[in-house]
Amino acid sequence: MMDFDKLFVTRDWFGKPVRRNEDVKFVKGEATYVDDIDMNCAHVAFLRSIFAHARLKKIDTSRAEALKGVLAVITGPEVAEVTKPLPARAITRPARQYVMATGKVRYQGEPIAAVVAEDRYIAEDALELIDVEYEPLQPVMRIEDALKPDAPLLFEEAGSNTLLDDTMEHGDYEKACREADMVLKETFRVHRYSSTPLENWAIIARHDKGTDSFTVWANDQQPGRSMTTVCGTLQIPTHNLRLIVPESGGGFGIKLAIWPYIVILCLLSRKVDKPIKWIQTRREHLLGGTHAPDGIVEIEMPVKKDGTFLGLSVKDYQNDGSFIHTAGIYGLIKFATMVGQYTIKATRMEVLSIATNKGPTVQNRGVGKPTMTFALERMVDIAAKKLGIDPAEIRFRNFVKPEQMPYTTPSGEIYESGDYPECLRKGLALGEYDQCKKQQAELRKQGRYIGVGISTGVEPGTSNLGYYYTSSGVPEYMGSGEGAIVGVDYDGNINVMIGSVDTGQGHATVIGQVISDMLGITPDRVRVDNTLDSFISPYIGHSGCYSNKFNDVDLGAVIKATEKVRARIFTLAAHMLKADVSNLKLGDGHVHVTNDSGKKVSFKDIAALAYKKITLLPEGMEPGLKEIAYYRNPYAKLPNKQNFNVQLTHSNSCHVVTVEVDIETGFVKFLKYVIIHDCGNQINPAIVEGMAIGSTVHGLGATFLEEFVYDDNGQLLTTTFMDYLKPVAATVPHFEMGHHYSPCPTSLLGSKSAGEGGAIGSLAAVANAVEDALSPFDVKVTSLPLTPEKVVKAIKETKVI
Amino acid sequence: MQVKVKINGKEYQDDVEPRMLLVHFIREKARLTGTHIGCDTGNCGACTVLFNGRTIKSCLMLAVQANGAEIMTIEGLSTNGLHPIQDAFLEKFGFQCGYCTSGMILSAYVLLQSNPQPTDHEIREALEGNLCMCTGYQQIVESISYAATKMKEAGK
Ligand code: FES
Ligand code: FES
Repeated sequence: MMDFDKLFVTRDWFGKPVRRNEDVKFVKGEATYVDDIDMNCAHVAFLRSIFAHARLKKIDTSRAEALKGVLAVITGPEVAEVTKPLPARAITRPARQYVMATGKVRYQGEPIAAVVAEDRYIAEDALELIDVEYEPLQPVMRIEDALKPDAPLLFEEAGSNTLLDDTMEHGDYEKACREADMVLKETFRVHRYSSTPLENWAIIARHDKGTDSFTVWANDQQPGRSMTTVCGTLQIPTHNLRLIVPESGGGFGIKLAIWPYIVILCLLSRKVDKPIKWIQTRREHLLGGTHAPDGIVEIEMPVKKDGTFLGLSVKDYQNDGSFIHTAGIYGLIKFATMVGQYTIKATRMEVLSIATNKGPTVQNRGVGKPTMTFALERMVDIAAKKLGIDPAEIRFRNFVKPEQMPYTTPSGEIYESGDYPECLRKGLALGEYDQCKKQQAELRKQGRYIGVGISTGVEPGTSNLGYYYTSSGVPEYMGSGEGAIVGVDYDGNINVMIGSVDTGQGHATVIGQVISDMLGITPDRVRVDNTLDSFISPYIGHSGCYSNKFNDVDLGAVIKATEKVRARIFTLAAHMLKADVSNLKLGDGHVHVTNDSGKKVSFKDIAALAYKKITLLPEGMEPGLKEIAYYRNPYAKLPNKQNFNVQLTHSNSCHVVTVEVDIETGFVKFLKYVIIHDCGNQINPAIVEGMAIGSTVHGLGATFLEEFVYDDNGQLLTTTFMDYLKPVAATVPHFEMGHHYSPCPTSLLGSKSAGEGGAIGSLAAVANAVEDALSPFDVKVTSLPLTPEKVVKAIKETKVI
Repeated sequence: MQVKVKINGKEYQDDVEPRMLLVHFIREKARLTGTHIGCDTGNCGACTVLFNGRTIKSCLMLAVQANGAEIMTIEGLSTNGLHPIQDAFLEKFGFQCGYCTSGMILSAYVLLQSNPQPTDHEIREALEGNLCMCTGYQQIVESISYAATKMKEAGK
């Protein structure tokens, strides 16, 4: 963390809930999302597999091609001929797959062919004229079925549906078991869901015949990586692709997997003489616009009678569906923070990535941590009950203490800061834990069932990208970084571009706050263009908006570029004022001479010298006043199974929730929902609050409503928001927020992850509260979602949800 | 088929296919792209517009059904600066990605016309047809409540 006295000239903006005035376009309907770009496009529609698993015998597109208004058609086999297969990252078995189905389809909704037509209505009509001959195969949907020795194989070349099976052991787990008074065991199941950004995927592609190059506009969340992946798949040099990311209507990880469609659109754009546009429909999005995988977590926890957790063993089965690019990643991320906030000394984790005929998966908000935290925090409550210790107390006994920070977990993850006990103390106080417990006893006498649930979770950020390859070999990417360009314009105002994109986090405002305090100006003088343009923006392989990296490396790059600009401002001012740099200071958009109050020069005049009156520049000085900087988090270790860090910053939160369960209907009502969040220094607390609450609601949706349900034939039954239910305003509680501030020593501003905490902690907190409410009925919660039917059934018969 | 619609006070006339959705007419013929599409099944409210004064989901209506109607989209809410509801969404951080915001603001506008001082509960009920995937709704509710107070103060 930097010395703020040196970093900042003023402290007027940093840490304040500054309005997002840069984003007034959003409230006026004037933002430009991909679909809003007006360029007389032809439209693309995809023909998608009706089967979950089938061989493709024949695709005949002739009737479609003959339809008036159809400009071109492309099929999977044609795409496969001119592209490279998808690059797998985490899995170890060979599996070959292309951006479009060829030879075989592996999920209902997999693209088989695409049509470009004059308008979207004609394109859709043409799909009906494509004749496909399928040979249906037995679909494999559930993990248990995929593991059967005679299970049909998704990828024959893999020889198994288990594409990754790796075990990592740290500390002496066997010893932990020997020393334990008991070893608790449980199996948890978490279903498939997705954070479903409100804007679906959207792409425009234009081909330039003269140079055989492409310009693409897409709401891509990780453009730095997409540049390499798209160009690698198309086998073109990266300078032949210009990728532009305008406004994006939410991401949550789900827009990390849009690149295969960019590949297809590029190929199609070569066939027509105008730009082409594809706007994914919601049905397409729910079918194959990626999910978080469902999974089974088998967990074992050796504990002492006094409540000490000695070890943790997890066997994690992840139903990765049919997208080998992401397969295996979730397990590794779960592994990284598997010990949660506890001083567990010995761990063992077996990660299994299972291929099935479910839709593709990608890194959805929290990536595995919601499931891991659900399993761990449920296990903690189970241990507490077994040992007769209060759930809060057992957590206090096992927490990593603030004086142990920085704390290194058995596998090498470094928790650089945090005060877990204090957050829980605050949570218990704000959540009125003791009062709720008392009330619980009284209400039970009246036949009302309330319960209190606690969950604590680590919210990591700044992904150290090499970890994907822990099992499979040498990483293509390592570490985490970002780039930024900061310039003083002709009139002395500031222009900024960064390599990342914004999917709703208010980056422009936050960057404006930081730069304003660094240069002694007001945020209305800083313009940040959130558009990523790969020909102009300072992107690197890690560029994008994911893994909570903004508060660390994105701002790191902004600060470094601003420091360079500031240094040049001083040099130029020193020349103009005939003063020594050490005698200068910034304020009100001017450089002042410290000991001569009248002497000053404005940014505007400095800019005039730098850009217009360059003959007057001191000898040897370069004209212009714009700087570029790249920044990386220096704490990334190389991936090494014995000792590595998967994420580079670690926020934490604690949720204390009181619910009431209606035992007749199974409905759960929130009586109180408290979130204590510690993400270090907050640059804009109002934005942080929105992130914390928004991500908590993602967790609540997953806990109660959202589920991708497939039938035995592999048909997805939840393909609209009528079946795939999302939380609405009236069904979510009012959240009470509390904060703690443990500045991050390893980021420049002491800030850390702010976007995922709620999605990580809420599942467990609610599950713990529901189980607590139902304790008179001996109901145990081991799975999600907590639908009313499941709740009622558990009370009446099964005793297990 | 010929369609003539007044949108934000301006007349738009075009020859469209009978199957063209109203939301596509608004976005592509009138080029008013503040009206968004999030689901095309009437569930998300991103396409909310005012149709003869009432909110409708413009993805659920055909352009030809709107013949002769008066429509207001987000672009028509305030031609001069910000409407107090728009200002409130900025003041209280009622949006993140902004994709639901046009629909949210129009639903709030209609709510506040009939119920100028709604309780938080009433606001939440009124937003039943509008999904927001980003905010968790709390700051949206606060924005609308704040707008109601400001509008009352201003006697609007
Ligand atoms: S697009 Fe009309 S309700 Fe979703
Ligand atoms: S702000 Fe993104 S959907 Fe509401």
